[in-house]
Amino acid sequence: MAAPPDDDVLWARGLHYTYDGSPALQGVTLGVREREIVSIAGSRGSGKTTLLGCLSGRLLPAGGEVWFDGVPVHTLGLGARERLRRDRFGWIGSEPELVPGLTAWENAALPLLLRGAGHRAARTAAHEWLDRLDIGDCADRRPAHLLQSQRQRVAISRALAHSPAVLFADEPTAPLHQADRLQALRTLTAAARSHGITVVLTSHDPTAASAVVGGPADRFDDSPAATLVDRTITLIDGRRTPPVATAPDPEGSAACSLSA
Amino acid sequence: MGSAAGVGFLLLSTLGYAASHPRHSGDALVRLLWCLAPLAATVQLAASSTRTDTGKRSLSALDAAGVGPGRLPMLAAFTTAVPCVLGSAAALLAFLHLRGGPDSVPFDGAAADVLSAHRPLPVGAVLLLLCIAPFAAASASAFTLRPRPARRVRGARRGDASAGSAGDREPAVPAPLRFACDDRQVPTPSGLPWGAALTAIGITVATLSRGSSEDSQRSELLPLPGTLEGSPPGVLGGWLLTALGLVLAGPGLTHLCGQLISAGRPGALRLLSGRALQEEAGSVGRPLGVLCAIGSGTLAAVEAYGAAPDDGTRVFGPLTAIGAALILCCATASALTAVAEARAARAPATTILLRLGAPRSLLRRAAALRGAVLVTVLVALTCLVGEVAALPLSRSAG
Repeated sequence: MAAPPDDDVLWARGLHYTYDGSPALQGVTLGVREREIVSIAGSRGSGKTTLLGCLSGRLLPAGGEVWFDGVPVHTLGLGARERLRRDRFGWIGSEPELVPGLTAWENAALPLLLRGAGHRAARTAAHEWLDRLDIGDCADRRPAHLLQSQRQRVAISRALAHSPAVLFADEPTAPLHQADRLQALRTLTAAARSHGITVVLTSHDPTAASAVVGGPADRFDDSPAATLVDRTITLIDGRRTPPVATAPDPEGSAACSLSA
Repeated sequence: MGSAAGVGFLLLSTLGYAASHPRHSGDALVRLLWCLAPLAATVQLAASSTRTDTGKRSLSALDAAGVGPGRLPMLAAFTTAVPCVLGSAAALLAFLHLRGGPDSVPFDGAAADVLSAHRPLPVGAVLLLLCIAPFAAASASAFTLRPRPARRVRGARRGDASAGSAGDREPAVPAPLRFACDDRQVPTPSGLPWGAALTAIGITVATLSRGSSEDSQRSELLPLPGTLEGSPPGVLGGWLLTALGLVLAGPGLTHLCGQLISAGRPGALRLLSGRALQEEAGSVGRPLGVLCAIGSGTLAAVEAYGAAPDDGTRVFGPLTAIGAALILCCATASALTAVAEARAARAPATTILLRLGAPRSLLRRAAALRGAVLVTVLVALTCLVGEVAALPLSRSAG
């Protein structure tokens, strides 16, 4: 078992995963440096969500290694992985996935409460993040009484409220409209940068397949993910493609706009 | 099926009584009315099990296969009717057998006297009575799954369409960056005040009507499956009101328990436990209220009639026992079904919590906490109402 490189906070080698025999990941290797914002791009079914699940300890890979901060995640037991997820990781899904019985601020405060934080501290942190995401007015509403975009903002607040070391975001802007997407993503990345949070996010947007490091900042026609992330990793059919090589797209909208 | 068999058996016994006592038509009618209680319990069980059976998981698959929301009630009615018809057939067999059928097996004709074997029964009436339970249960199943028109939510997009409030056109570049929440309140079950009021009125009516006929003799004690003649109908009415009040108060009471659990500044355990109970109040509260009402009614009946000195006439006959057991079983099964349904409805939330890293032991403790609080409150209430409802009867009997 090889030790991971020192500068990578999250490191995976040769990840394999199958769903009842159908392969989802076929030998993916990647490393994420501390405070880096990495986007994983690919079409539906390319294994993005599975990769995120393996990296976050939610799924146990059939083969390969996952290391976080010097800890071999793939060898941990269920309880240890749960604790790791609760204490060090944050997760935003493509669906808001809020607990229906709890109000917005209680949902956002839930990770803190689960860690044993005091009621008052958790409430303060949750309200702070809800305010930052412009839904402070809805803090006392149940998810059923929120719009889908508001729910997703609550989910983002929940993932950030306990200041995780790594934030996993699986298509975090999928339920949002175009204008909301950019703003929510900008809030997310800004918060991550100011709090030193490492972010691994996925995007099915084909234009995000090309990495734009420090590219043009505010362009609506471009993919929002492409302009805000440090690096993009492209998956095709469970395999990682070389950064420059572009995949042939059957529908013609090839992901090859290397505009840096 | 079992409950349908029980109801069918009771109805047939009533028919037997009516056929053998043609002069006591009022008496037979009252017996028939008493059969309504197990029938209602059966119908409730059918409705609640139908609701649980066709959960959300199979609906889309059935819809894709061509059995949409319009045809689903027919399917549910058929699914319910088949076991009920089988149950009715079993009831008929058991009835004929116990009455003394053509064959000679053990227990043949064992209950001939109770079931009035010496009188022939009209075939049409037998078939009609046996069809009641399946028909009622199937109707309840179909009614449970009746297609409801999707409700339009007015002003749902009030928050982010403030620029185009005239509703004529979408703005070219929507910029809903600041959300304004509308003032919809979280719905809370509203039955608690009504239920409490009805329960109080019912107990008062029962007490007053008993008190007004204080000079009457113990023979006026209401015979359970018997006649209303010479007995205080006020007591029965009061008990009915009390039961109705308890059923109405069930959801509100459950909600209140949830509020109590998560009162103050709760940590994760009390918060999750209490809020889950509040969430489930609507679905679990009603069957629990029914169970509560039946429990307190049974308690009151046992208190009142058990205390009365027996002068040879059996207060609790075998048919009463069958009916009471049937009602209790159906109510318990309904409550358990509702709990299972609530558990299934909570499964997504449980998955989310586990994904967030909530320890399983915490979830188990939360479930145990809310179960303990709910059972404590409901048992206390049942005992209280049962005792109070039995007070006027036992006082006059003693």
